[in-house]
Amino acid sequence: MLLQRFLKERTAVFGLAVIVVFTLIAVFAPLLAPYDPLQQDIPNGLAAPSPEHWMGTDKLGRDVFSRMLYGARISLGAGLGVVLMSAVIGTLIGIVAGYVGGWTDEGIMRVTDIFFAFPSLILAMAIAGALGPSLQNALIAVAVVTWPVYARLIRGQVLILRNREFVQAARAVGAGHGLILRRHLFPNTLSPLLVQASFDMGVTILAVAGLSFIGFGAQPPTPEWGVMISEGRNYITTHWWLTFFPAMAMLLAVAGFNLVGDGLRDVLDPRLRR
Amino acid sequence: MAAFILRRLGGLVFVLVGVSLLTFFLAQMVPADPAGAALGSNAREEQIAAYRQQLGLDEPVVVQYGIYMSRLLQGDLGNSIRTRRAVAADLRDFLPATVELTLAAMLVTIVLGIPLGIIAALNRNTWIDAGARILALIGGAMPIFYVGLVLLGVFYRQLQWLPGPGRLDSTLQPPTQITGLYTIDALLTGNWPVFTNAVAHLILPSITLGLFSTAVLLRMTRSSMLEMLGQDYVRTARAKGLGQRLVIGRHVFKNALPPILTIVGILFGSLLSGAVLTETIFNWPGIGRYATTSVTTLDYPAVMGVALVAAIIYPVANTLVDIGYSIIDPRVRAD
Amino acid sequence: MNGRQPTRLWRWSALLVLIAMLASACAPAAAPSAPAAGEAPAAAPASDEITRANTLIFAADMTDIITLDPAVAYEFGGILPVGNMYETLVSFNPGEPEIVGVLAESWEITDAGDVWSMTFKLNPNAKFASGNPVTADDVVFSWNRAIDINKSPAWLLIDVCQMTKENVVAVDAGAVELKIPKTVSPNVCLSVLTFTVAAVVEKAAVEPNLGSDFGEAWLNDHSAGSGPYVLNAWERSTSVTLDANPNWWGGAAPAMKRVILQNMPESANRQAAIETGDADIIQDVGPEQAAALEGNPDVTLVKGLSTLLAYASVNASMPPFDNPDARQALRYAINYDNIITLLGGNGELVQEIIPIGFAGHTGKNPFTQDLEKAKELFAKAGVTEGATIPFIVATGTGPGGVEWATIAASIQADLAQIGINLDIQQMQQSELLTKYRAQELPMLLMNWGPDFTDPDANGTPFSNYEAKSLAWRNSWNDPKAIELSKQAAVELDPAKRIELYAQLTEYVQNNGPYAMLFQPARVYGLRNNVQGFIYDPGDTPSISLWLISK
Repeated sequence: MLLQRFLKERTAVFGLAVIVVFTLIAVFAPLLAPYDPLQQDIPNGLAAPSPEHWMGTDKLGRDVFSRMLYGARISLGAGLGVVLMSAVIGTLIGIVAGYVGGWTDEGIMRVTDIFFAFPSLILAMAIAGALGPSLQNALIAVAVVTWPVYARLIRGQVLILRNREFVQAARAVGAGHGLILRRHLFPNTLSPLLVQASFDMGVTILAVAGLSFIGFGAQPPTPEWGVMISEGRNYITTHWWLTFFPAMAMLLAVAGFNLVGDGLRDVLDPRLRR
Repeated sequence: MAAFILRRLGGLVFVLVGVSLLTFFLAQMVPADPAGAALGSNAREEQIAAYRQQLGLDEPVVVQYGIYMSRLLQGDLGNSIRTRRAVAADLRDFLPATVELTLAAMLVTIVLGIPLGIIAALNRNTWIDAGARILALIGGAMPIFYVGLVLLGVFYRQLQWLPGPGRLDSTLQPPTQITGLYTIDALLTGNWPVFTNAVAHLILPSITLGLFSTAVLLRMTRSSMLEMLGQDYVRTARAKGLGQRLVIGRHVFKNALPPILTIVGILFGSLLSGAVLTETIFNWPGIGRYATTSVTTLDYPAVMGVALVAAIIYPVANTLVDIGYSIIDPRVRAD
Repeated sequence: MNGRQPTRLWRWSALLVLIAMLASACAPAAAPSAPAAGEAPAAAPASDEITRANTLIFAADMTDIITLDPAVAYEFGGILPVGNMYETLVSFNPGEPEIVGVLAESWEITDAGDVWSMTFKLNPNAKFASGNPVTADDVVFSWNRAIDINKSPAWLLIDVCQMTKENVVAVDAGAVELKIPKTVSPNVCLSVLTFTVAAVVEKAAVEPNLGSDFGEAWLNDHSAGSGPYVLNAWERSTSVTLDANPNWWGGAAPAMKRVILQNMPESANRQAAIETGDADIIQDVGPEQAAALEGNPDVTLVKGLSTLLAYASVNASMPPFDNPDARQALRYAINYDNIITLLGGNGELVQEIIPIGFAGHTGKNPFTQDLEKAKELFAKAGVTEGATIPFIVATGTGPGGVEWATIAASIQADLAQIGINLDIQQMQQSELLTKYRAQELPMLLMNWGPDFTDPDANGTPFSNYEAKSLAWRNSWNDPKAIELSKQAAVELDPAKRIELYAQLTEYVQNNGPYAMLFQPARVYGLRNNVQGFIYDPGDTPSISLWLISK
């Protein structure tokens, strides 16, 4: 039923289609890519898009199309990794805060305040810098700045639910904390979690690319979209294809997740329906 | 109101201590020697040892943090390892540039986001609405560093309509420092050529930085307006034959404003984040670029300084928005 | 209702004003920013008005500037303005290898028993920007100050010249005597004295402003030198503005009345600035930008070899490179042509430890890729196919404008051909340096720049384990290399010295832990109307701004 409602949202379905296409690209990149994304062909560098190289080549003669396909792997993987990490950690902490309440709750919320006080990219940069610049550390950094979002979200949900009748009733009949959490609280937090996760996929893809762009994320020669734009920044007016295609890929992927997020929210949370 | 502000201040102190602890902890994780990094590849062992001692890097971590905090209480943010002067002095030099850029981007956000959102809502499901929604979709999904590169490439390098990177043409001397914001200082001192030049230099970076928040605000305004337009009393007012403009102005926008205002406060954080990338591309001498260079050179006293300042600006901006909010909607104060 | 509407709007805008005020409150109330033209130290307003035509805009990545005090400056970005504001006793003429007098009219080196005595006679015409004459007292004050401050460049005076506060004396108002031990070569010391750390500041100007830091902070916003330019303003992280010194004694008044050294870290921005004419000169044009600018009729590219040397090195205490055969195998495995191609003309093949342009450079490049030989040598050293060696590389762009990782990938591909697997690990330069200094890196890619214009500035670090520099970082403790480098450093006879360096070079070439790769070039982009630009990396400053006109 929810699925039917979702499928009625035309833009959301479009977004979903985009995500499915990118997921397929990510999974089957080795089959789809006409070239090895790292294979250099220096004499044939900076070639314009042509039948051999659909999106041209970069300064080392690497095929931009192949690099873009592999980039989907990295960006989607990064988004998924960060969202999973931060959602799991944030949810656990949020449930504890909301359910236990009192000083525990107060303490946890103040800790999230500290994380919210930083502009996220500055904190992520500081973490990535301290750990040493690499894609993996960039993911850890972004996850560290993202989990408090989930902690707060879930805590808010739990606070609302905790006093709802069905939870009170369960408690009255002597249900244990674990059971209440598992059966009543957690399932009811799933909808907002899913909406948030969908939006965060987009945010994370942009954040990881941003970190890579300034040198704190994936390192060259990794075919990551942010790295590709960074490597092509000197050619923006002369060899537009170096930056245009990875930027468009990023735009499409992020827009796809945002559209799906919108659609999910409209379907799952009718109160916020616009 | 006083209690409200006091509670906010108490929270702020806690947050600042937390922020300093967190950055200090980060600095301890660094696998490299900051003194060696500052002195470069040719530095000899004795020089590095001397500099480490001067910076107090050989003290136990707890002692280092104690020294740092006791200095901080006296308003001393410590010394930058890289620039070798007081972090406070560096921040004084670089913060105004970021504030000016952020405010300009906020201006772009408000000037574009709110009217476009209202127009879209009023023309729901027309091509105007569709255009605005597509704009919001693109603005919210576009990597801003690409936007900045393209804008510079097109409007500076190719067309030469707008000046290039930096806050002022290099031939112009900055205005006498009053606030540190070039536009305001130039106005205050009546320095017209510097004012126009500073404004021209702000256009591309503020659009770049403001694009994402414009998209968010546009969406928020549109949906908030739509919600209000759907309310019974609006229908009633319209039915009563009140003019469209009056209904929109008096009822709809007024009631749609609080959530919009909340978003404006939240967007400050994303603008400060975006400033890191925008300042890099536009050669903007602000704290974002300072933070980037400082992280690269493992200059964690400087990073801590930036973090503390950002951690102050953001809650303060939000508090101001909250206060504004409570003026508009007294119910909030009861919370 | 209607009456309240404006009030709300007002409140709303009041909020914005509040934010703006908060912002300005964070700014200093009255920061002592750049001195206004009037209070610039003794810089009388230049006779002719400053226009764009007589202003030179020089754009470069000057993120590294941390000081404008000659006793402290040690970074490329800082030495450029400092070298144009202050003068040393002796210097190189731009583009020429002989040392000539600047503030010193003449000098004499005599054998004074157990020490060398170097006596400098000051030029009686020499005067500071303030109009006061340069005296021996100023020289002694300046050198003592550098020794007291003891920051990055001070070791050149203290260690290389063995200068102490006691062995520098003013003979009279116009002569200074420096006594140095016999273990120091007076020629090496003389070349050190051309560096900005030995520049002369005006005692009368600096002494009242010593503060608690020997006047370091004051000299960041004021100049007190005798050079062709004086400091107008240093906008931190943005620009350094120099104005022509109206009292300059040393030659024709500089054609450029104002020079703006603009900090522009992004190379794309520099390219745009030279294309649009917003800058007159840009520094560090990358290989691909050079290709783009070559077709531009308004821009000329000037290329000059730097004094840097890029190399791959291995730790001589860790297997497999504890075996000299393995080290030699590495040198035969590398395809040097590929690396030079990657540089796109921004570098010359150099396989020895003394750079082109220095005495003792042999010009011998004995290695070309020979995979058979490399394989054989690796086998002899017991390295089998499939071996994996960690290869540490800095993030970012190396000298010559190519990413370190790109050059590393090229070497990785070479060794892969003989079944040896290089595992490229990227690190920030700071982390790499820390681990390199701790002798922890099995194999890495790096570059070295000599600290002064003398072969000893490379001979010792590359060969002498005891100097705790490069040889030490690579755990290469070789008595013969140590002995040769020590001998060559103090040899006084130029011909014999060159012969010694030739021996040392050849020995390190075949036994050392290095595969020397290339000497990067520095490429400048000049608007066509710019004349008189010379880049001489061996000279301080490497660019003589006062010779430039347009």
